[in-house]
Amino acid sequence: MPDSRPSRGYRFLDAMVRFVPHLVLLIVLLCLWEAAVATGMITSIMIPRPSAIGGAIVELYVTKGTIYKHFFITLTEAVVGFCIGAAIAVSLAVCSSLSDVFKRYVIPYAVVLNVTPGIALTPVVIAWFGYGMGSKMALAAILCFFPIFVNTLTGLVQIDEDREELFKSLGANNTQIFTKMRVPAALPLMFAGLKIGLTTALIGAVVAEFAQATDGVGVLMSRFSFQLNMAASIATLLSMTVIGLLLFYTMEFLDDRIVFWRRESRRAAASRARARSWQSQIGK
Amino acid sequence: MNVERMPNHAASGEVVVSGIAVGKTFADGTVIALDNTTFEIKRGSFVSLVGPSGCGKSTLLRLISGLITPTSGQISVHDTPVTGPRRDISMMFQKATLLEWRTSLENVLLPTEIAGTPTKADKNRALDLLKLVGLGDFAFSFPAQLSGGMQQRVALARLLQTGADILLLDEPFGALDEFTRERLNTELMRIVAEVGATTIFVTHNISEAIFLADQVFVMTSRPGRVAKIVDVDLERPRPLSIQTSPEFNRLVEDVRVTLGAV
Ligand SMILES: Nc1ncnc2c1ncn2[C@@H]1O[C@H](COP(=O)(O)OP(=O)(O)O)[C@@H](O)[C@H]1O
Ligand SMILES: [Mg+2]
Repeated sequence: MPDSRPSRGYRFLDAMVRFVPHLVLLIVLLCLWEAAVATGMITSIMIPRPSAIGGAIVELYVTKGTIYKHFFITLTEAVVGFCIGAAIAVSLAVCSSLSDVFKRYVIPYAVVLNVTPGIALTPVVIAWFGYGMGSKMALAAILCFFPIFVNTLTGLVQIDEDREELFKSLGANNTQIFTKMRVPAALPLMFAGLKIGLTTALIGAVVAEFAQATDGVGVLMSRFSFQLNMAASIATLLSMTVIGLLLFYTMEFLDDRIVFWRRESRRAAASRARARSWQSQIGK
Repeated sequence: MNVERMPNHAASGEVVVSGIAVGKTFADGTVIALDNTTFEIKRGSFVSLVGPSGCGKSTLLRLISGLITPTSGQISVHDTPVTGPRRDISMMFQKATLLEWRTSLENVLLPTEIAGTPTKADKNRALDLLKLVGLGDFAFSFPAQLSGGMQQRVALARLLQTGADILLLDEPFGALDEFTRERLNTELMRIVAEVGATTIFVTHNISEAIFLADQVFVMTSRPGRVAKIVDVDLERPRPLSIQTSPEFNRLVEDVRVTLGAV
């Protein structure tokens, strides 16, 4: 098959050119904001100038580098909390899909957990797990549980009559039906749940930091806000955006590789990889 | 004389699939899908089941495959009663039902994986079967990269990969366009002759049923039953043009009268 994709260099250039208008718009907005503060239309105590935020960014991220310790603490809390929450959610979803009795007993608790505002659990979680990272991980885990549980379970219990019949006619046992049909078929929905869960896990970690903590970007940000140092506060907020983006694109990347069959470009790459591995195994 | 393949009911007398007074009802006996049907199918023969929709064709096929059990009577394969799915019977459906996360080759290997761990020989056989159905160049393509006709060819290769000597096909090319269907039918005839399988083929197209088969089971509905068995003594291999011969048309007329008479 001839490779008809445009070259890497060309694609990069293309992306850059498309990026320019967005950059121009952003600069215009920042200039308007700067002008509004400079002319006194907005009070600079509440809303700092972009240039002041820029100064705070340089200080926090470059000259003093204060942000990094807090950045990694919050990142760790969110990721560990997410992993714990996801592991529990996926395990319970798998058990629920295998046993109707199990499902009947688990669902009410999952629903109660979902309709209770998770953030309201913050004081309780802090009382249980202390001021350290533990309580942040716990709240992250609680907040990401439900979307992952529901999506994974929905994926696992969807029935494709034709596939069921095919597997049955081939004499497949329940384990084979589960691993070769149910699980792969559930992956797209499971990843949709994981993506939502990762976002809510970060919310959980930051909210718990706001409530009570000694380290983390949430603490740093509320400290700056109390000092009415809004420029530094917003500069800290940006680090949360960075964490969010980092987590989101990591998940996108995994989704794209693991559930590769939904996108043509990924299918083509997977197809070439399979052909290569066949060549090395069998061909010659 | 053509020694390669003669109409098989003449060549070999051994019965591989038989049904005695088979009945199947659904919905607590209110729907009679199949009523008191008795039949015999001989080794290596190609049987078409033809009839209007709802006359119990799929039901009969599913009974033979062991996917469902009869309400009354008994179906035997190789002289043993059918109680569930078995390795010497394999079925193909109207939909290709491929797993979209598997390449053509991996889809063809599915039956082998379910039966055990595929060996190198199994893998080579799967590739050979894909070549046999004309998809040698698409072994590493995923289903979404294939046309409907190509997907159905993969399903056919998967059917053959089971190694079953009794093949059940339920309107396998029914969802494809006329041209693709005709070509696949011709290839199917060649392939099952090559592997020497006993084939039961469901269709609601009379010409197709006759063109492919050694025997046509003409089925009628309410209640579903085999109204008549028509022997097709046309020489093989059969060119497409045989469908305009007077002999062929006589057979079509025969089937049509049976279907219309009820
Ligand atoms: N699982 C089922 N439950 C209830 N009725 C069924 C079921 N399967 C088939 N039937 C009924 O049995 C009859 C024969 O169906 P089927 O064998 O699918 O016909 P065909 O394949 O010839 O179109 C139809 O009236 C159909 O509605
Ligand atoms: Mg049918």
